Formats: sequence, C-alpha cells, structure tokens
Amino acid sequence: MVVARNSAYLIGLTPAALLLSLFFVGPALWAAYSSLTNLALVGIDAANPRFIGLDNYARLFSDPDFWQVIRNSVTFVVGSAVIGQFGLGLGLALLIDHAERRRWWFATVAYAAVLLAWVNPTLIAGFLWVAMYDFFFGSLNHVFLSALGLPPVDWLGSFPMPAVIVANVWRGTAFTMIIFLGALKTIPPDIYEAARIDGAGTWRRFWDHTIPSLRPIVALTLLSITMSTFGTFIVIQALTNGGPGIATEVIALYAFDSAFKSFSIGYGSAIAAVMLALNLVFAVVYLRWSRARA
Amino acid sequence: MTPRAETTVARTVAAPRGASWLETIAVHAVFALVVVFFLAPFVWLFTAAFDGRAQAYIRLPEQPTVDNFARIFTEHDFARALGNSVLVAGATMLLDVVAVSLAGYSLSRLDLRFKSWITYAVLLLQTMPLSATMVPIYGLAQALGLRNSYLGLILIHAAIELPFLIWLMKGFFDGVPRYLEEAAWLDGRSKLRALIEIVLPVARNGIGVVAGLSFLAAWSEVLMMIILIDKQDLKTVPLAFYEVLRTRGGYTEVQYGLIAAMGVLYAVPVMAIFFATRRMMVRGLIATSRGL
Repeated sequence: MVVARNSAYLIGLTPAALLLSLFFVGPALWAAYSSLTNLALVGIDAANPRFIGLDNYARLFSDPDFWQVIRNSVTFVVGSAVIGQFGLGLGLALLIDHAERRRWWFATVAYAAVLLAWVNPTLIAGFLWVAMYDFFFGSLNHVFLSALGLPPVDWLGSFPMPAVIVANVWRGTAFTMIIFLGALKTIPPDIYEAARIDGAGTWRRFWDHTIPSLRPIVALTLLSITMSTFGTFIVIQALTNGGPGIATEVIALYAFDSAFKSFSIGYGSAIAAVMLALNLVFAVVYLRWSRARA
Repeated sequence: MTPRAETTVARTVAAPRGASWLETIAVHAVFALVVVFFLAPFVWLFTAAFDGRAQAYIRLPEQPTVDNFARIFTEHDFARALGNSVLVAGATMLLDVVAVSLAGYSLSRLDLRFKSWITYAVLLLQTMPLSATMVPIYGLAQALGLRNSYLGLILIHAAIELPFLIWLMKGFFDGVPRYLEEAAWLDGRSKLRALIEIVLPVARNGIGVVAGLSFLAAWSEVLMMIILIDKQDLKTVPLAFYEVLRTRGGYTEVQYGLIAAMGVLYAVPVMAIFFATRRMMVRGLIATSRGL
C-alpha cells in the first residue's frame, strides 16, 4: 500500500506543510482574490469589501506611474543583478581562483571583503550607503572626491538609479562569487593536465574547458539572483525611498507604499498578483533548466 | 549530487607558469580596488561607532570613546531590542531545525510517484518574493492575533526560510545510506527514533547549516518586523535602528554615532557566526546550486 508505506513520512511533512500553507500558499491565493475587491486597511471599505472584478487591474495598467515602476524594476534588476552582481561576481571568482593557484594571499583578503558585505544585515547595508552618499559629509564626496580635488556630487539626487544599483551590487555580489568559486574547484585537474600536454595555452584552456564547465550553473545563478533582486526593496527604501519623484520606485516598494501608505489593499494586491505572475514565469523557466541538468 | 560528495579537487592543479610582473601588478590592483570598495563602508561604521562626534564621512576619532554604546542602552533601551532579536532568532532556529529535519528526511525517503512534484513545489515556493505576500500576511496576522506577538514573528520567520532549508536538508539526507536506519528499525526502533539517534548524527553538518542560516535570516529580516510590530516592548534591533533614524532632528543633527554603534552590535554577531562556520555555510550554499 502506497499510503501505509509512506504514512510516517507524510506525518513528518505535516509541520512544514502547515507553516507553508499558512504563510506562503494561503497569502498568495488571498492576494489573487483580494486584488478583485476594493478592500482597504481603514475606512468603510475595510469592513465591507466589495467584489469589483478587474477594476484594480484596469486602474493599474492605465496608471502611467505603474509603467514607470516596471521600467525602474527592469533597470534595477538588469543593472544590479545581471550586470553588477553576476558580472562582478563571476569575474572575481575567476580572478580569485587564478590568484589562489598562484598562492597570492591577497586573494583571500578580497574574498573576505566581498563576503563581509553580503553577510551584513540588509538594513545596515542600506544605511552604510546613506552615509557614503551624503551630499555634504558623505565619505564619497568629503573623503574620496575631495582628495582628488573634485567638486561634490549629489549622488542620490542626480544619479539615483545608479546609486541604488551600486549599493545593491555591494550587498549581493558574494552569492555569485561563492557559487562560481565552488564550481571552479570541482573542475577535475586532469582536464587541465591533458590540455597542457596537448600544448594548449592558458587562454585556450580557459575557453575550451573552464567556460564550458561553468555554463550549466550560469542560467540557474542568473535566475536565482534575478528573482531575489526583483522582490527586494529595503536598500532602496533606506537610500531614496523611491525618489526623487518615482525615479527609483521599484515594484516591490510600490506594492508596499500602496498597501501601507495609501492603505488600498485591493490595489496593492493587484500589484502583488502581477509580481507573483511575473515571478512564476521566471520560476518555471528556472525549474525547467534545473530539471534539464538532472 | 549530495553536498558531501563534492570535494575540492582542483587544489592539486600544478600552479601555472610564473607570473609576469605585469600580471602580478594588474591582479593586485584589481583586488586593491575591490577591497577599498567593499570595506570602505565598514571602516566608517567601526570608526564612527567609537567617535563621540561622528560624522557621515570616514575620520579617525580624536578620542576613541564608548559613549555611543552607553547612550543607545540608556536612551534607546537597546538591551531590550537585542534581547527580543535573540529570542525571536533563537526560537526561529529551533523551530526550523525540528520542522526541516522532519520534512527534509521525509521528502528524501518518501516513495511516491509524484514525489518529484513535491520537490518542485517546494522549490517554487522558495522563489516567491515576500514583498508580494506581505499584505495578506499582515491581514492574516491581524486576524489570528499574531501581530505584536513573539509567536507571530517566530512562526513567520520560520516559514520564510523553510522551502530553501528543506531543499538543502533533503540533499544532506539523500547522502545518508539507507541501511543505517534500516538496521535501526530491525533493532525495534521507531522511524522517529531511528531518525533522531542514527540519521541526524550522520547528517549533523546539514543540521548545523540549517541552524546557522535560519538564525542569521531571522536576525537580519526587516520587512516582517516593520509590518507586524509597533509596540515598544516588542521592538527588535532593526526597529530600534529605524527609531533612531526617525528621531533625527534637522539635517545636521543625524546621530551618526548612535546609529553606527547599533550597527556594530547588530552586524558583529552575524559576521562572527558566519565566519566561524563559513566552510560549512559555503559548502551548503554551493550544494543548493546543484541540488536537483
């Protein structure tokens, strides 16, 4: 009997299953449902929410701010996850791996520095960069630019998006670096030996052996950091709170502000439902690629 | 592939031929830039915390002092915030270790045709952003009386990391040979006792990673604390942090010293735990990138 054979294991799954249905599945379904109502946190609509169909979505998609927010989110994700964290993380992994083979101890210092920024709580990361970017007294203007004899720059006012991207790259680069350093260390040495005996130079070995052996985890790492960057807003909230105007308002922050500042739960839920739908697309691709590897 | 199966083989690769001076300088210059970029904010954090007249820019304190630390405890009741954070993160860790051990082991040993679908479902939940479900979670907590309660924070924090940790732990359990527990069953042990007495000790590295990551995640989490807690008694470290930020008067009166002192006490435990256990943590993380 299938059930009898598995009964102990099914019981073992119960505590986790309860927590997951309560705080993951339930809320996701509720977000989808309440996006079809005019539910609010306060006022008359809080007590008697009405079913209003797709009105929230109609309002959302005709809201010019929403499309600006989508553009901001794409810029933020591409800039900080795809280009910044991934590019820098992969580059550093290759460089550190190379330097470790040469037994250059400075590689370990660089590795620890990148890791430190990552294990540090997110809220601190946000605040540290608030101090770095401060116009009058921030370290960037007051220490670094003034040492070069350059005038101060209004980082958060004039370059808000690049500023939050840099802060997020600072915070998140270590993940990609760790994953690729791990992958590099599992490349069997005999592959390199064989290539060396064949007379292949350093670059040849790099293109023919190193890169292909990393390829399978490139897609998975990219998707994984894309999804986590898409859902994050604590650093942005600390730095610019979406401003100036809505120049750095990303979708997660927009959902937060709609629900907890404007108190319109239905509208906020419509944003959340759009986020969940977009995320599902990423996740399905992610799962397909994971399975393709198995 | 199981986490314990990957070993570092590449260390035995013979060093490449001698480096040219150009390569040596270029690589070290890049590393120097990296170190300055990643450490500069921390240099500020640690100097400002001990500076009685801290500014937003990096400067050496004229007279190093622990005044800032004294003030956050006397003026902002930071001891309570620390205590609350330790309590919530510690309880989250315990709950996660129990739930994840049971679920990870069960998922590993489950013998069902649609088992892989359960695994994918767990993975799918892992990718769900908290910022998309924060509103329903707020409403749910309100309805169940879990707002402004330790229990609410603990349950939610435990749930947040569950999918990732179950998936991670399943990998560790997959690496434990089944004849170990089967022998224990023949001795008359129940499945639960066999798990606790035989399997868990073998998978203790995995349990260590689960304990460490769940504590760190609950300690560093901010969003749920913002939306679920608004009582002074229950404030955690991140909320104390926001409190100081909010009470800043004018633009020039930002209490950088106080904020930096709080930041040091908030970040140092995390860094200490992570660096003390980094080999285990890093191995666990790498294992997830090739989990399926």
